[in-house]
Amino acid sequence: MINVLNGINTTASALEAERIRMDVISQNIANAEVERAPGAKPYQRREVVFETILNQQPGMGGISEAGIQVARIAEDERAPRMVYKPGSPYADAQGMVALPDINIHEEMADLMTASRAFEANLAVVRNARTMAMQTLSIGKR
Amino acid sequence: MSPDLMRGANGLTPDLARTAIPQYELGKLSPTSPIQPSTAITPAGGNFESTLGQLVSGVTAKQAAAGDAVAGLATNAGVPLHRAMIAMEEASVSFQLMVEVRNKLLESYQELMRMQV
Repeated sequence: MINVLNGINTTASALEAERIRMDVISQNIANAEVERAPGAKPYQRREVVFETILNQQPGMGGISEAGIQVARIAEDERAPRMVYKPGSPYADAQGMVALPDINIHEEMADLMTASRAFEANLAVVRNARTMAMQTLSIGKR
Repeated sequence: MSPDLMRGANGLTPDLARTAIPQYELGKLSPTSPIQPSTAITPAGGNFESTLGQLVSGVTAKQAAAGDAVAGLATNAGVPLHRAMIAMEEASVSFQLMVEVRNKLLESYQELMRMQV
């Protein structure tokens, strides 16, 4: 099939990966205040790990296209936050409740990074399109 | 981040990943050789009509792919939004390419018709 937008698959894979990262951050933020019964393990903060995938493209003169993908979603092994909440049904004998190890400021900073990275990849798409359209206008008078 | 978090599932550390990304060496990036006019009247790919037919069917395929992507998005079949948008962009740009080819063709035809004999 004709290839009109070069390198778009690499950018698309990055957009996909950033979207998954945003999904994981939204899980972290959503679960930040979820309490668990004493003894049960509270939600652990998750983090995406990206990796490079190489696709040999026949049309690029032996230069491989390096896309990215999410290698795995790792769990952060930090200890749960202990909060004094004697009214909670999940409070232990001392009135302490285990909350997930999530710092909302850290999550917001990660969210901003993911959003900016997504935006940067969208700028690549936009520029690829502009370049293609400008190339098509060769010979217009 | 712990060193374990920095390690991908395939065992790539950031340093390894950097070497895995293709290096664009200047020697390898020779400019595309200029297109040589085909000496034979009918090139290996067939006549001009079939070449044009291939272009049109390529554009049709792109538009079908864009339609499928949008349908997949609308029916919640797991197509992400950016895939659908990129498919539509590709369809749009390749359609534009086809229109440009058609314009050039028509232009040369009209040029021929205006020729004084």
